[in-house]
Amino acid sequence: MAVMTIREAILSTLHAEMERDPDIMLLGEDVVGGNGTAGGPEAIGGIWGTSGGLFARFGPERVIDTPISESAIVGAAAGAALAGKRPVAELMFADFVGVSLDQIWNQIAKFRYMFGGRTRCPAVIRLIYGAGMNTAAQHSQSVYAMLTAMPGLKVVLPATPADAKGLLTEALRGDDPVMFFEHKALYGVKGEVPDGEHRQRFGEARMVREGGDVTIVACGRMVGFSEKACDRLAADGIGADLIDLRTTSPLDEEAILDSVEATGRLVVVDESPPRCSLAADIAALVATRAFTSLKAPPGLVTGPHSPIPFARELERAWVPSPQKVEAAVRRVLAFR
Amino acid sequence: MAKLRPFTMPKWGIEMSEGTVAEWMVAENQPFAKGTVLTLIETDKITNEVEAEADGCFVRLIAEAGQTYPVGALLAVLSDGGEASAEEVEAVIAGFRAVDARFDGSEQGVAMPPPAIERVREIPDGLAISPVAREKTQAAGLDVADLHGSGRGGRITAQDVDQALRPSVSPHLVGVLPSSPPSSCFATPMARRLSALHGVPLEGLTGSGPRGRIRKADVLAAIPAAAAVVPSSGGVEIIPMSSMRRTIARRLTEAKQTIPHFYVRRRVRADRLLALRAAAAGEQRPSVNDYLIRACALALMEVPQLNIQVQGQDIHRFASADIAVAVATERGLVTPIVTRADDRPVAEIRGVMAALIRKAKAGKLRPEEFSGGSFSLSNLGGFGVEQFDAIINPPQGAILAVGAARPEPIDDEGAIRVVPVLHLSLSCDHRAIDGADAGRFMAALAALIERPELL
Amino acid sequence: MQLSREALIGAYRRMATIRRFEERLHEEIKTGEIAGFTHLYAGQEAVAVGVCDHLGVDDMIVSTHRGHGHCIAKGCDVTGMMLEIFGRAGGLCKGRGGSMHIADLSVGMLGANGIVGGGAPQAVGAALAARLDGRGRVAIAFSGDGACNQGTTFEAMNMAVVTKAPAIFVFENNHYSEHTGDAYAVGTANDIASRAEAFGMKAWRADGCDYFDTHAAMGELLEHVRAGHGPAAIELDTERFYGHFEGDPQRYRGKGELDRIREERDCLKAFRAKVGQAKLLDITDLDAVDAEVAALIDGAVAEARAAPPPDPETVADDVYVDYL
Repeated sequence: MAVMTIREAILSTLHAEMERDPDIMLLGEDVVGGNGTAGGPEAIGGIWGTSGGLFARFGPERVIDTPISESAIVGAAAGAALAGKRPVAELMFADFVGVSLDQIWNQIAKFRYMFGGRTRCPAVIRLIYGAGMNTAAQHSQSVYAMLTAMPGLKVVLPATPADAKGLLTEALRGDDPVMFFEHKALYGVKGEVPDGEHRQRFGEARMVREGGDVTIVACGRMVGFSEKACDRLAADGIGADLIDLRTTSPLDEEAILDSVEATGRLVVVDESPPRCSLAADIAALVATRAFTSLKAPPGLVTGPHSPIPFARELERAWVPSPQKVEAAVRRVLAFR
Repeated sequence: MAKLRPFTMPKWGIEMSEGTVAEWMVAENQPFAKGTVLTLIETDKITNEVEAEADGCFVRLIAEAGQTYPVGALLAVLSDGGEASAEEVEAVIAGFRAVDARFDGSEQGVAMPPPAIERVREIPDGLAISPVAREKTQAAGLDVADLHGSGRGGRITAQDVDQALRPSVSPHLVGVLPSSPPSSCFATPMARRLSALHGVPLEGLTGSGPRGRIRKADVLAAIPAAAAVVPSSGGVEIIPMSSMRRTIARRLTEAKQTIPHFYVRRRVRADRLLALRAAAAGEQRPSVNDYLIRACALALMEVPQLNIQVQGQDIHRFASADIAVAVATERGLVTPIVTRADDRPVAEIRGVMAALIRKAKAGKLRPEEFSGGSFSLSNLGGFGVEQFDAIINPPQGAILAVGAARPEPIDDEGAIRVVPVLHLSLSCDHRAIDGADAGRFMAALAALIERPELL
Repeated sequence: MQLSREALIGAYRRMATIRRFEERLHEEIKTGEIAGFTHLYAGQEAVAVGVCDHLGVDDMIVSTHRGHGHCIAKGCDVTGMMLEIFGRAGGLCKGRGGSMHIADLSVGMLGANGIVGGGAPQAVGAALAARLDGRGRVAIAFSGDGACNQGTTFEAMNMAVVTKAPAIFVFENNHYSEHTGDAYAVGTANDIASRAEAFGMKAWRADGCDYFDTHAAMGELLEHVRAGHGPAAIELDTERFYGHFEGDPQRYRGKGELDRIREERDCLKAFRAKVGQAKLLDITDLDAVDAEVAALIDGAVAEARAAPPPDPETVADDVYVDYL
């Protein structure tokens, strides 16, 4: 086991997988950086520090800096995948999915089904997402719920360095398109990462904490926030099953339902507005399939129905927090 | 005069929250020219040189090399080149206020209180309330000002009214469970938990879930098989737990797992109590236990810190002592309650207890006769047990375990005498009761038993 | 076109205000007090001011993530902008938008934009609306050498041509799309104007570090557009004095590159030299403007620093005009 950050886990996994599989190629804005400048290529190594050294090792045919053209970046990934390669396309901010949405929504997601199961499109789209850094309405969103709603896409949200490695490796070995979400506030999070080959199956949730009083379902940055809430609740003798979904598509329904059947209470933590959200989806799953186990209505911890604001005070009010998770658990427990 | 400015931890990239000052490249008060490398700053992403944007010098280096500081932290005081007095430098440092640029999810002053509803007697026509909620509110004679509307804009729903009408509850908490041991087997989280709980290894189980995932049902199906391999001599009778047994099991497991118990033990001479009892009239003679119920009740009045129930974050302290008494029946343990035992003479307690025991053995106790209670008493003296510790009966805060009186030497005002002695063991919930309270209770109780004429 | 003394002083004041505003932000951001990320316009002042000096308050512009200069040139309140960038309740957008999302429709500033290429189609729509009004207004899309590679920009140019919209595409080539050079990313050999020409509109080229060159070319262009000839484009060669965003270590820059462009390509220095040589203005007049501008920015920062933050309870206000 080596201790590393999520950033390092992603970079080292890309490195190892590109060594292993010559069909893997990387493309995106400034994934090399410095092309066409006096500083020269790799002056940046990716603005998130997740592609440094790849250009030097694998060259310009496999590590491709693109113009600012998100529709073409994602569309090119679609075409390369249809042509037998394994492209990894980076959307510098997940919000830019808006610019490229047709290529994801109408193209990549649908090829396999539309073409009678006779094709595969193993494109991995890396989307850097999340609020918390005052990057305002067009650089802070968590668009995973929207992409989870589209059949044909797998949606992955690592919360730990080990999962970043395991899930990215799995994405690069599978034959389906994968939307790989990296939270910008989690890049510096450190943790143990298994050495050598490490694959983490999709659809297998991680039980982060165990307890008998409430089930907390979270993903991405919300997992760590929920852990903090669990610590404070445990001091009062309140135990929670904390489930890190790891992937929202496929969804580990069984882990959620088994837990709620035991605890009778559900809190979902979701870094997005409430309507048609992941939180709403999981609450619906539990309400339809575990109704008789519920002792209280599900508690949903989401942002408000608004875009994400800029000012620190407003953004803090928008984003779910450990305190909001804790309050939701206490509300659910107090239901009578 | 020199122009002084704070030199702070820079922010390279929006996700940078802190940086390490790897090295200072210039010394304090050493003038430098524009473009000079001043310091090396490391982040988890890059190490970068910070160059002087203009000629100047550091009149004070504050940050230590090798240390990590948040973005915006004061690292040094920068001068445009002129000299500065120590007072001027201190003034810059004192006047500096770092900005809280954290993004760790901590909140400051962003609590969002529920929308306030103006206090009104009638339900105004314009109030945001569902029709059923309006009906229920009126039927129950509730003041809408006491209702918390959970809907958009504080709209009140029927559920909100139902909540207001029901008494507040303290949920039975199961608490934190041990983490399931790691396993490379492909299994659901609940299957892992059950595997550890029942000692059924996941290895070797066939998973019935998608892609062969081992699920809850697979582990549960393996449990009887696992039990059968335990060798037994002369066969085994399998007795399913009755619902009462399951309730006892659940409540006591919960109590022992979640209540931090501590125990206070004391022996007390019983010769005078036994003599007093022997002097009582034949048919109506109280049992030793009846005296002890009375003694506990009076001791609880003296030390009310133990006459309690623990309800969530609250301690409910009672004005009278309702003593739950453990009674063994064929179906299992029940704990009927002698209410207001502090108000009843021993003879009356005898009568109440006799009636309760009769009902308990016949299975005819009404729920209110065994629910609640502010203290418990368990006496196994009748079985010759000398001493034991009991599990607290939640939500009560303490239970007294009493053994049989047996002759033991005591120090009786300087003389060693052998008299009947009772061994008392008090179990307390340390969340609500401290050792000193328990000690005082035991002292009060011992004094009453040793001078039973006070009972 | 001979500019009046007032026009020259005004142009200098606007350029100096932008410069001072951005230089001050560069300092303030280092303290960490300003949240998020900020893209500074310093170096490109001659573009914003040279273009907007031709516009009336009714004409409209759409801006980019690097929008402070466009805002100031179009007449946004400098203090209101500073409050917005500090994330204050009294900011132009109540602290909701921040540096990247400043807008003030009352002065024809339709919005800065966090999405590269997000603005050009909106300028076409604004231009079609202006034509419908029939008052001779125009709409301008500022785009960089990054946005010129977005499909949205191509679609906007073609649609403007076929609809003959009075839309103007101003391409500010500062030679860097984020951290990548235009030599790499702009396929038409660094020439953006030729793309506009290929879509069928007339295009101008000018030095975006020279106020007079930019102003003159823009004058011709506007005459063309206001005469009803449909859209037009202009490519302005300019320089970015700071990083892509504040905090960008700029490792892609050549050695001494920033010193060179600040020495040789500073539009304010060039302006002072030109008006001095031609004896159009007394240099002391410009020094007085500098002092006024410094006081303005000092005041704006002091006000922003003292201003209250937004009330967290307002977080979900203003999502709709009217919602149940």
